[in-house]
Amino acid sequence: MRSRADLRRGVEWLLRAALVVALAVALWRSMMARSEAGVARRTTVRALPAALREAASAPAVTGLHLAVSETPSPLQRAWLVALRRAGVAVTWSGSPPAIAAEASRAREPRAPARIAVAASAGAKIVVADSAGVVDTLRVGAAGGGALVESDGLISPVTASSGPFAARVALPQAPESRAVLVLGRPSWESKFVIFALGEAGWTVRARLPVAPGVEEATAGLLPLDTSRYDVVVALDSTASGLSAGIARFVAQGGGLVAAGSATRLASLRALLPARAGERLPGRILLEGDSVTPPGLPLRPLASLAADAVVLERVPAGVALAARRAGRAAIVAVGYDESWRWRMLGGASGAASHRAWWSRTVALAAPDRSAAPSPSSGGDAAPLAALVGALGAPVSPPASAASETTNALPVILLVMIVLALVAETASRRFRGAR
Amino acid sequence: MSDFVFATAQYESGDWDSAPLVPANIIDTIARYTSIDVAPTGVIVPLSSSSMFRYPLLYLTGHLPVRFSEAERANLRRYSELGGLLFVDDHNHDVDGTFHKTATEELSRVYGPIKTVPNTHALYRSFFRFDDGPPTTSHELNGWGDNLVHKTLSGVERRGRLVLLYSSKDYSSEWNYHPQNKRFLSVDNTKFAVNLVVYALTR
Repeated sequence: MRSRADLRRGVEWLLRAALVVALAVALWRSMMARSEAGVARRTTVRALPAALREAASAPAVTGLHLAVSETPSPLQRAWLVALRRAGVAVTWSGSPPAIAAEASRAREPRAPARIAVAASAGAKIVVADSAGVVDTLRVGAAGGGALVESDGLISPVTASSGPFAARVALPQAPESRAVLVLGRPSWESKFVIFALGEAGWTVRARLPVAPGVEEATAGLLPLDTSRYDVVVALDSTASGLSAGIARFVAQGGGLVAAGSATRLASLRALLPARAGERLPGRILLEGDSVTPPGLPLRPLASLAADAVVLERVPAGVALAARRAGRAAIVAVGYDESWRWRMLGGASGAASHRAWWSRTVALAAPDRSAAPSPSSGGDAAPLAALVGALGAPVSPPASAASETTNALPVILLVMIVLALVAETASRRFRGAR
Repeated sequence: MSDFVFATAQYESGDWDSAPLVPANIIDTIARYTSIDVAPTGVIVPLSSSSMFRYPLLYLTGHLPVRFSEAERANLRRYSELGGLLFVDDHNHDVDGTFHKTATEELSRVYGPIKTVPNTHALYRSFFRFDDGPPTTSHELNGWGDNLVHKTLSGVERRGRLVLLYSSKDYSSEWNYHPQNKRFLSVDNTKFAVNLVVYALTR
C-alpha cells in the first residue's frame, strides 16, 4: 500500500509536469507568434484604442474586426480607414441605429439654434448640449425626425439613442450689419423700425419729413455692404437712392421693397415682381383683429423668371423673392402692415415682429462660414461608419480576440501556482 | 388712407371735447410745414374701443376730473405696450386742478411713475428746435397769463421711446382757434405740435 508521502511525491511530480507543460505551451506560443504570417483580431469599441495601437505597431496583425456596440469616434474611424489603406483587413459588425443631426441658425440676430434630428420610427432621442440634457424626443411612428429650437445652447450638441450618438457643432451666430429703412414718416415706417429693432437688428432710417428736411440717423451714407446688410424701401421716397440701391445689390447687399416702392420704375429691373393696384383690407368690426390676409394688398404680378413665390393670400401673391448673389431681393405685397401689430390681437405685435425679421433675414447676405472639419462633429455616425468601412459583416467565428485573450495570464497563474505548491509540498515534508 | 390722422381720445368721464378747434389747427400746421400725408379731418376715438389702436398718436384733454373705466385702462396699457403715444394736456393749466390730480393718478395706474422729460429730449429737435424745452403758452406768461410757467413736460418711456407725454401748459387753450387766424400771430404757436407729430411718426 502506498503511503501518504508517496502520494505527496506523486502530486509533486504532477506539479512539475504541469509546470513544464505550461512553460512548453508558452514557448510554443511565442515561437508560433513569430513564425505566423498574420493574425486577425476581434475587438469592441471600448477596447478599440488598445487594438488600434497594437494593429498599428504589430505587423503580424493583418485583420481587425470591430463589434460595434456604441459609436466609435471620428478619430477612431479615421484610424481604422488608415489601417485599411495600410493593408489591414478591417471589418465591423453590429446594428447601430440610423441617427443623424444637423444644427443651423437663421440669419436673424436673435434666432434660436435649430437642431434637426433624423432617426428611425419610434426611436427615443435625447438631445443634449455641453451643459446637459436639453430635450427628449420620440420620433413618430411614420419615421423621419424631430426638431428642437433653443436659445443659449453650448456647442457641441449630441442627439443620442442609447449608447449611439450623433454630435454636431453649433454654427456661430451670423455676423450682421445694419438695416437701412427708407420711408415716409408714417405708422408703417415707425412700426417696421420698431419691429426690426425689437427683433435685434441694428436699424438706421431716413424719413423725409418736409422738402429738404429729413429725420435720419447720422452718418447714413454711403450705402455699401460694409455698413448694411439690407435696405428696406417702404415707399417711393426710396427713388432718390435707387442708383445707390442698385449698386448696393450688385455688391451683394439685400433689398426688401414694400408698398409703393414695389412700383418704382428705377427699381423695376431688380425686383422679383411688380405690384398691382392697391386692394383695401378687410373692414374690421369692433373687437375684431387683423391677420395678413386681412391687410391691404398690392398683389404681386409680372414675376421675373427666377422669382419664387413665398406667400400667397386669397387676393394674390403677397411675398416673392429672387436671389442676387449671396443675398436676395424680396418684394412685399402687404400694405400698412403696422395694422397687424396694432390690431392683430394678443399675438399681433409678436407675429408682425417675427414676420419682418424673417423677411429681412431672407434678403440678408449669407455670411456664414462652412463648418470647420476640426469642429468635432459627427453628424451621421452610421453613415460615416459605412462610408469609411463599408457595410457591416457577420462577426468572424475564428478571429482571435487578442485584446481579451486571457491565455498568457492563465499560463502565468498556472506556472506560479504549480511552482509554489510543489516547493511548499517538498519543504513541508522536510525535503530540499 | 392718409399716413396721419389726428385722433382725439374720448373718455367716459370728464369733458374730453373741451378744445374742439385743436384738431383742425394741428392738421393745418402739419400740412403747412411738412410733406406728411395728413388726413384733412380728425377723428374722435373712444378709449374703451379697440378702434383706438388704428391711431398710434392720441390727443387727450379736459378740465374735469378723469376716471378711466377698466376697459379704458386695459386699452391704454396695451396701447403703450404696442408703441402708441398718448399726448395728455391739462386744459386747466393748473398744478393743483382737478384734471391734473385725477389724470396723473389714473395715468400712473396705467403707465407707472410719470417722470420729467428733460428739455434736451429728441422731441424738442424732431422738426423745429426748442432749445429751452417746451414753448411757453400765453396762459403762462405774466401779464396775459398767471405767471405759472411749467418749465418741463412729463412722460413715460418704454424701450427708449415716449409712450405718454403729459403737459400742464394748456396747449389745448393755446391751439384752440381757427387755423385761418394763424395769420394774425407774429410767431406760429402751434409749431411744437409739428415736433410732436413727427416724433410720434418716426421714433
